[in-house]
Amino acid sequence: MNRFWKWTAGIFSVLLMAAFAVLSYMAGSPKDAYGMVRYALPHMHRGTLRLGSDAPDARIVALDGITRFHIRERTQQRPLVLVFGSFT
Amino acid sequence: MQIYEDYKDHADFLTVYVREAHPTDEWQMKSNVKDDVCYAQPKTFEQRVAIANDFTKRYKFPLPFGIDEMSNAANDAYAAWPERLYIIDEGGRIAYRGGMGPFHYTPAEVRGWLAARYGAVKHEAPKSPAGVAPASASGAAAPAPAATPAPVAPAK
Repeated sequence: MNRFWKWTAGIFSVLLMAAFAVLSYMAGSPKDAYGMVRYALPHMHRGTLRLGSDAPDARIVALDGITRFHIRERTQQRPLVLVFGSFT
Repeated sequence: MQIYEDYKDHADFLTVYVREAHPTDEWQMKSNVKDDVCYAQPKTFEQRVAIANDFTKRYKFPLPFGIDEMSNAANDAYAAWPERLYIIDEGGRIAYRGGMGPFHYTPAEVRGWLAARYGAVKHEAPKSPAGVAPASASGAAAPAPAATPAPVAPAK
C-alpha cells in the first residue's frame, strides 16, 4: 500500500510539473503562468448568456465620471455592438 | 476601429471599460512596461475613470465609451473580463456572443454578423513598400480596449 501511494504521489507530481511547464510555455514564462492561475482564471467565466436570450442591463458611467446610463437604453433602434475590455 | 467606421451608420457601438487585465499589482506583463501601460488595479471609481480617460485620450478612441461601476455589474452580467464582444439586436436580445478573450476574441465575427445584415464593406489594400506586410484588407481588426498583447493570442 505504501508503494501504491508513493507511485500515485510521484505520478501526480510529474503531471503537475508537466502541466505547469506547458502553461509556462503558453503564457511565456513561469511567472506569467503563475499570474494566469492566480489572477486571470478566477475572473474568466464563460457566462450563461445564450443567443436569443434577453440582454442583461447594467448601469454604465460616462467618461466624465458622473453621467450614468443603461446599456438597454442603447438597444432600441439599432443593433448594439458591445466591446468589453480594459487598458492593460 | 475599422468596423466602427464601416458600420456606425447601421449599428450603435459601446465600449465598456471593465477591471484591468494586467495591472502592476497583479499579473503585469512585459509588454505593459514596453508600451508604458502601467496601472494598478483601481481601488476607487475615480481611479477607474482616470484610467479610462487615459486610454481614450492616448488612442483617440472614437467609439462611444462607458465605464463599468466598481460593483462590476456589467462585467458580471456579460462575463466580460478580460475582453469580450456581443451584439444586442433591436429587440434587446443577444444576437451575437463572442468567446472569452483573449483567445476567442474575434472581431472578424462581429464584422461577419454586420456584413451579413448590412452588406460587406471592402477596403482596398493599402499601397505599401515591398517587404512591408499590408494591413488586413478586410479591415477585420476592431479595437479592443486592451492595448497590450495577451500572452498567447494578442489582443489588437
